[in-house]
Amino acid sequence: MAEHHPVSDSKHKSSLNSGASYSGNGRSSTAVAERGSNAGAGGGGLSGGLSQPAGWQSLLSFTILFLAWLAGFSSRLFAVIRFESIIHEFDPWFNYRSTHHLTTNGFYEFLNWFDERAWYPLGRIVGGTVYPGLMVTAGLIHYVLNLLHITVHIRDVCVFLAPVFSGLTSISTFLLTKELWNQGAGLLAACFIAIVPGYISRSVAGSFDNEGIAIFALQFTYYLWVKSVKTGSVFWTIGCCLSYFYMVSAWGGYVFIINLIPLHVFVLLLMQRFSRRVYIAYSTFYIIGLVLSMQIPFVGFQPIRTSEHMAAAGVFVLLQVYAFLQYLKDRLTRQEFQTLFFLGVSVAAGVVFLSVIYLTYTGCYAKIHIPIIASVSEHQPTTWVSFFFDLHILVCTFPAGLWFCIKNINDERVFVALYAISAVYFAGVMVRLMLTLTPVVCMLSAVAFSSVFEHYLGDDMKRQSPPAEDSSDEDDRKNAGNLYDKAGKVRKHVSEQEKAEEGLGPNIKSIVTMLMLMLLMMFAVHCTWVTSNAYSSPSVVLASYNHDGSRNILDDFREAYYWLRQNTDEHARVMSWWDYGYQIAGMANRTTLVDNNTWNNSHIALVGKAMSSNETAAYEIMRSLDVDYVLIIFGGVIGYSGDDINKFLWMVRIAEGEHPRDIRESDYFTPQGEFRVDKAGSPTLLNCLMYKMSYYRFGEMQLDFRTPPGFDRTRNAEIGNKDIKLKHLEEAFTSEHWLVRIYKVKKLENRDRVEHKLRSTDATKQKYTTKKVSWDFKHWTV
Amino acid sequence: MIGKSPLLAAFLLLLAVSSEVSADGLVNEEVKRTVDLSTHLAKITAEIVLSNQGHSAVQSFMLAVEADLAPHLAYIGASVSQTLVKETADHFCLGQFYKVQLPSTLAAGAQLKAKVEMTFSHVLKPFPTQITQAERQLVVFQGNHYLYSPYPTRSQTTRVRLASKTVESYTKLGNPSKNDEIVEYGPFRDVAPFSEDTMKIHYENNTPFLTISSITRTIEVSHWGNIAVEETIDLRHTGAVLKGPFSRYDYQRQSDSGISSVKSFKTILPASAQDVYYRDEIGNISTSHLQVLDDSVEVEVRPRFPLFGGWKTHYMIGYNLPSYEYLYTLGDQYALKMRLVDHVYDDQVIDSLTVKIILPEGARNIHVDTPYRIDRMPNQLHYTYLDTFGRPVLVATKNNLVEHHIQDVVVHYNFNKILMLQEPLLVVGAFYILFFTVIIYVRLDFAITKDPAAEVRMKVASITEQVLTLVNKRLGLYRHMDEVVNRYKQSRDTGALNSGRKTLEADHRTLTNEISSLQARLKAEGSDLADKVGEVQKLDGQVKELVCRSCQEAERLVAGKVKKEAYIESEKTLTSKRQELVSRIDSLLDAL
Repeated sequence: MAEHHPVSDSKHKSSLNSGASYSGNGRSSTAVAERGSNAGAGGGGLSGGLSQPAGWQSLLSFTILFLAWLAGFSSRLFAVIRFESIIHEFDPWFNYRSTHHLTTNGFYEFLNWFDERAWYPLGRIVGGTVYPGLMVTAGLIHYVLNLLHITVHIRDVCVFLAPVFSGLTSISTFLLTKELWNQGAGLLAACFIAIVPGYISRSVAGSFDNEGIAIFALQFTYYLWVKSVKTGSVFWTIGCCLSYFYMVSAWGGYVFIINLIPLHVFVLLLMQRFSRRVYIAYSTFYIIGLVLSMQIPFVGFQPIRTSEHMAAAGVFVLLQVYAFLQYLKDRLTRQEFQTLFFLGVSVAAGVVFLSVIYLTYTGCYAKIHIPIIASVSEHQPTTWVSFFFDLHILVCTFPAGLWFCIKNINDERVFVALYAISAVYFAGVMVRLMLTLTPVVCMLSAVAFSSVFEHYLGDDMKRQSPPAEDSSDEDDRKNAGNLYDKAGKVRKHVSEQEKAEEGLGPNIKSIVTMLMLMLLMMFAVHCTWVTSNAYSSPSVVLASYNHDGSRNILDDFREAYYWLRQNTDEHARVMSWWDYGYQIAGMANRTTLVDNNTWNNSHIALVGKAMSSNETAAYEIMRSLDVDYVLIIFGGVIGYSGDDINKFLWMVRIAEGEHPRDIRESDYFTPQGEFRVDKAGSPTLLNCLMYKMSYYRFGEMQLDFRTPPGFDRTRNAEIGNKDIKLKHLEEAFTSEHWLVRIYKVKKLENRDRVEHKLRSTDATKQKYTTKKVSWDFKHWTV
Repeated sequence: MIGKSPLLAAFLLLLAVSSEVSADGLVNEEVKRTVDLSTHLAKITAEIVLSNQGHSAVQSFMLAVEADLAPHLAYIGASVSQTLVKETADHFCLGQFYKVQLPSTLAAGAQLKAKVEMTFSHVLKPFPTQITQAERQLVVFQGNHYLYSPYPTRSQTTRVRLASKTVESYTKLGNPSKNDEIVEYGPFRDVAPFSEDTMKIHYENNTPFLTISSITRTIEVSHWGNIAVEETIDLRHTGAVLKGPFSRYDYQRQSDSGISSVKSFKTILPASAQDVYYRDEIGNISTSHLQVLDDSVEVEVRPRFPLFGGWKTHYMIGYNLPSYEYLYTLGDQYALKMRLVDHVYDDQVIDSLTVKIILPEGARNIHVDTPYRIDRMPNQLHYTYLDTFGRPVLVATKNNLVEHHIQDVVVHYNFNKILMLQEPLLVVGAFYILFFTVIIYVRLDFAITKDPAAEVRMKVASITEQVLTLVNKRLGLYRHMDEVVNRYKQSRDTGALNSGRKTLEADHRTLTNEISSLQARLKAEGSDLADKVGEVQKLDGQVKELVCRSCQEAERLVAGKVKKEAYIESEKTLTSKRQELVSRIDSLLDAL
């Protein structure tokens, strides 16, 4: 405007007639510009949430959350697009089977389900040994859809449950981060958690596992907890308890919540941040949460019996004492005595709390040294590489976010700091617990990125910051008695940023912004790549690629399982290593001896013993266990490394743990201490049942012209025992690529001989039968 | 071979129809019988020259089936002379007798050529019943050397076609000649009615002995242009049962190992079949291939594992068809013409068939024309996407079917086209309710407790909004005034300037009053924004002063009281001052 006026006037001066129209134009254009700037100001006012709370901002965040959900859902569909809508891996097959049972037989039948097809001859009480949340969720969705006559098969519900829940997870992460920091960070966190590989690894389409819904429950419980600590309202606490109940019903990881929340309360007490809000929130949460969690049959009385839950009880008592002391403090006047008393109590309680925690986790460690737990790959300690692989740039930025939180500490930021620290510790102990670390890393990284962008992102910063300040002010005003002052912090931010702007100039600003955006872009690319390459294989179906890019599908697992399903007796008992128990039950629908619910170590050890004994000894064990078929996985033909020979040492170790007199691990090694399948291998190994079954008739097979017959591609060795004869077993089925081999256990061959002898003399028959009976008896007592 | 009682039964039945038969006086002049045993079916064709030696013309003649083969009879059909009119005789079933209605009467003494086709399933018995993987499959067929007929036969020959040259044994009635895969019996002369003589052939047959033990064919008709077909099939290898181990090594390395097993077979689907899927309970069966030909779609169905004797499998195959090829319509009347049963593999045997035809929701007056007799079950209801009262399902079953049963069924029904709108309206309604609920939820306050602070905030917000618009309007007035002044400078029309100044004054006063009333209200609500508005008012007063001054300056210029240069100078300062004030107002407004 300052420029327009002189220009128009000079026009007017030079030529009055024509200048009129020009100046008119000039005026109108300024008017338009002015109006535009006013409209912009109006927009700013809207987004400030003053004039219209449900305005552009909520539309924008709704859109971003919706897109995050969509992106999270679609990036989990690689496996479905590449293969088919199928349940993955091992545990999901059990979950699918029990969900199927639930939908066909109803809820009560499911709760009372005694599965006689597992752990033969013991059976398994499924209803009481399972976290039913997953099945009930899937069953409920299926029920509702069918009620609306949307005839979706339960399999598809199960396959797509985890991707759908990932959307809910990102929304609850948004809510939680919004409570902790601000809306912008919340949206970033929602986008991060939607695509971060650490979470995708457990929630791709088809991986129908507890973790898929448990992370949602975890985040939502934390959100409600933070909300109840902030407001001190019983309403939010009850919501938190219900969410906690859902979490308890879904995953054993609920123990993390029931320890983290008391820890939070305890640390708040130590930091002198005790308030009425914390008292209301925790007291309500502990009592109602406890009662609700005990409703799950599998959990039962554990919350009042086991050491994992004692910390919560201790903090509850401590809180009551503390509140009582506070009350007394108001009544009494002897201040010094009070403070001394308080110190004494808190120190004592702290010691108790820490010792309980110590006991709990040392207890966990003791369990880890059982070989069966150690044998699971996901129970191994996490490597640095897998941190980066699963979290990429977030693993670098999340300490910054943590620092921001600690720098501007308040009640809920104490919580997130504790969450971060404990999750980092557990993720370091076990690969599997990477999952609990992922959400907090996403949240804190979002905080870090959001703060950096607040500093460096453009001129509109000036216009954006005052409204943000206003809204946070309002938040603060709502919860009376806050000890911290967020508004002050933001003001400091503004001044800092202005200083930085003056010092750095626009170039630095844009460079930093570009750099951050590049990092985020690389993060998105990495996430997609990891999801596509590492986490999207169903592992039930394998694929190999030819030189021209065409794909071969190796469907051996389902071939063999389906053969079992169709062509064996309905009550046939199949012995296999426990890894395949759930799959056999789910796909082949046959009775198994051991499965992935490794609750009975000695039973597994017995199977391990059968696999690692010689054929005759194994036959006795198999007879005593009524085994009809033995199923093994053999990867020697196609070079599949996850086969039973590679797992064999674990079988030996587990068997040795229970039967140290019969099985010794050292017998299976060469004198040099090597585990070899070729001629140099130990004779015990070359004659054990597993070896014989794996390589039966493999010695005749020449895979290509450069290698001798009987060349094992997985272990790159020519096998040592090529002339394998089976006496008590016979080959029943071998899949196309020899990946799965099924052997039939022959019945005792004695009938014919008995008949034959019967004709010769009567006396012999008499003798023989008695002998036979005693022999049989002996077997049963083994 | 035949027990006494079946014979007796046959005799009694014979008596029942004897009057008819004896009245005919028909004689089989010449019979050429072919027994085709090259597959797992027994297909018996007889070319009969029939002569009427009675006194009256006949309308029909009888066919008979041996008592021990009758339960296995899957299909019987007759065609007469060159007329290709095929008379499927199922309808006239009288025990093991079938009556063929002639197209024209056969006069006394006249002759007629008839061709009779019969197909028997499960009559080739594997013997031995169990074989190992390396062995070949041998089967036994037990039949009749003669044509089993209620009429005397003058002359007949029987030719048996086998699956291979290897024959273990065969009955030697009348010194038969054997040439490769063919055994020829006869000619036999003057065979009495109902004569039977057991023919027993034991030979090697490695053709796939596949049997569909049950198939459920579901046809779902949609008026949106699609017909979905799904077949759920239980398949069993009914040849000699595999004994002992199955060795994959032998199966892969030796070509004749497991020669009687079935690796794959071809299923022919209609040419317009799309979206074909082939799966079972545990997912897709990835070993199949699809080939689209000009007149059909061929699926190479490969079960997950090769089927040896006694092994079975179970799968589903499904596809979509465009409905315009199969659905005919006339007003409200519809007719669906589809195959009752379709091809699964060549020479198929179906033990039990269930057909379910799902018609659109609201189909009435359903009427079915089947090509042959089939057992109807009570209709069912089927609920799927967006259904409210269910789709009618026609259910029908039949046992023992072969390839000859691949024929069309016609289903007539009425359907009101208005019902097509039901489903879209349902969706629209659901969305309407959803959005309406959201609107209600957002607009109305459901809180149990009142939050006075929030209410005040809302009120203040609405007042500020009004203030903003008013202030903008007022700024607009100044702009308008500028224009008036400019025009005045050109036209030197004092009247226009004065009137413009008057309107400005009037409008300005009303607006200012309104704003100050709003300011008062803001103050009443206790908002600190009132002060800001007051500041805006103060600044605005200054702006107005400046506008007035510029107006006076212009008047003076026009009147010639000031020089141009001086005017420009003063105008410049005024403008810059005004500019400053307006930007201050703007910043205040931004803060509102």
